Amino acid sequence: MDFSITAERISVKLGQKGQSVDKKRIEAKLRRLVEEFGVQPAEAERSVTNELAKEFNLTGVGTGSGGGGGAGAKETRSIADIAPGEWVTIEGKVVSILSPPSPSIAQSGIIADPTGAIRFVAWAKANAPKMQEGAWYRIESAVVDEFKGVANLKIHSGTGIKPVIEDRALIPSVLKIGELRPGIGSVRAKVVQEWDVAHERMLQSGILGDESGTVKFVIWKESGKEKLAVGSVYTIFHAIVEEFNGRFSLNLSTATYMQEDGDITVSGGDTEVRGTIVHIAPGSGLIKRCPVEGCNRALSRQNYCPVHEIQPKFVYDLRIKGWLDDGKKTYNILLQRDVVESLTGMNLDTAQELAENNPLGMDEVFLRMRDAVLGRYVLCHGREIDNRLLVRSCERLKMESGEHTALLNRAGGAA
Amino acid sequence: MSNGGTPSQGKRDGGFEREPARRVFAAELRECRYQFRDGDDEKSPTFVLLPSGERCNRVFLVGTLTEKQRQGDQNIFYRGRVVDPTGTFFVMAGSYQPEAMQQLAKIETPAFVAVVGKPNIYQTPDGAYLISVRVESITVVDRETRDLWVLDAARSTLDRIDALAQGTAPDAPRIKEHYPSLDPATFRKIAYEALAQIKI
Repeated sequence: MDFSITAERISVKLGQKGQSVDKKRIEAKLRRLVEEFGVQPAEAERSVTNELAKEFNLTGVGTGSGGGGGAGAKETRSIADIAPGEWVTIEGKVVSILSPPSPSIAQSGIIADPTGAIRFVAWAKANAPKMQEGAWYRIESAVVDEFKGVANLKIHSGTGIKPVIEDRALIPSVLKIGELRPGIGSVRAKVVQEWDVAHERMLQSGILGDESGTVKFVIWKESGKEKLAVGSVYTIFHAIVEEFNGRFSLNLSTATYMQEDGDITVSGGDTEVRGTIVHIAPGSGLIKRCPVEGCNRALSRQNYCPVHEIQPKFVYDLRIKGWLDDGKKTYNILLQRDVVESLTGMNLDTAQELAENNPLGMDEVFLRMRDAVLGRYVLCHGREIDNRLLVRSCERLKMESGEHTALLNRAGGAA
Repeated sequence: MSNGGTPSQGKRDGGFEREPARRVFAAELRECRYQFRDGDDEKSPTFVLLPSGERCNRVFLVGTLTEKQRQGDQNIFYRGRVVDPTGTFFVMAGSYQPEAMQQLAKIETPAFVAVVGKPNIYQTPDGAYLISVRVESITVVDRETRDLWVLDAARSTLDRIDALAQGTAPDAPRIKEHYPSLDPATFRKIAYEALAQIKI
């Protein structure tokens, strides 16, 4: 096999950077890779180029897309259109710089153009110039890689980074929550709910919603990050869309967000289900909660909180966990105290008294509530997340003669 | 129907999907002859194929518990008969379902009961079929709940027949294969008669 043409190409590339390398030496390296190690010629060209570039500490030595001449890599692409496995050149604005998770990474962050945004990673050994947040750059011959199913841009030793001097405006495309895909996304959404923080590094977590759905969000404690106000609408640019167990969440660490006027009618805010309660799960009825402020976890029978250990000064509460079934679909339901009280007719005081004066204790409350609601037809309103229904109101269904007549007609009509 | 086919099978790692409880009259459940397992896993759910056109892993039924009987010496279990406007369901609860067994043991007959359970087809040595429901839970309810159930069961039955007639039932080919001589109109009539017995 003849390696002289490839060697010539590499030599020219290095020559452009002011480094002359003996072509015979290049050829020998190529031959060794291809003939001894069975490396594909295109891959061999890439690795020899990189090896030499590194040896002479050159940056911006593009290899083109494999051995195919490099035209594809030189043409500026839209971030929205690039796919893993490609060599690309893009122009975009660095909208966020993240603290590098490992010493082998020099810099990581998010770069955006008007079509979309992508996370970038610059390896320490790439010796790439550091980019500034808020500035525009042209990134030549970077590799689009995939990590955990999300595309990202790898800046390696062959990648060229040039600042774009002219001042450009960036108007990111804002998506509906229902359209979000893992990667980077911008949304305009309302803060529906705020949760107790579960971690000391966490600043805030909760739920954002718009007309198309809801999504969990989290903000980690970092300088300059502020909490969102519940009930307010925000435009959030360039948040990381993460996926876990098929559910998305938004990490706002990379995002810039602005509070806005106006309101959004959040969908998924109210789901109505008519069905039967087919199961009452353990942990329903009278329960004890951890009294530590902001914890509120359910305690075990021995008053043990998973976080705060034994808590003898627990607080009593009522709840029902179970399954609601309409014959076609099942919903995991959670009823809070007020809903439990109105559905079962038993209030917290009664339940507490019952538990204290009965040999079965808290079990007695569970059994009575089970007997009062299991197998009954109910109409539930609440917020649905996956198959889980957080019930806001739950009432027993009543017999309606109109429905009876309609069904008689339907059954008899075609008989 | 939302659980028909493989999607529910693929969700093992992402949390399981509970099989819904089908509403079916005794007169239809009695006619079931075909039971199958969906998937090769030993934990794959088994389904009884309802003649009106739907697979069924779990049932919800409301009727009158007219009789109950304790059986067995070592392995105690309870059998019961639950009557709806169209016929009789045979239910049982053994020591593998201690909670259900205790619930059943406590109930005085006759009483309106709501039952959630899993149907199984048994064949007696003389070739007769028996469809029995293994109770997951049984509670005493009022007449209104029974009436609501009759409406619900009638609606579900009609929905199944309509889906079968329109060819939208995912298990339609199985129905043709296993119940070739059954006329879905039978179940429409059963639903009508059940509804007619409800007095408002």
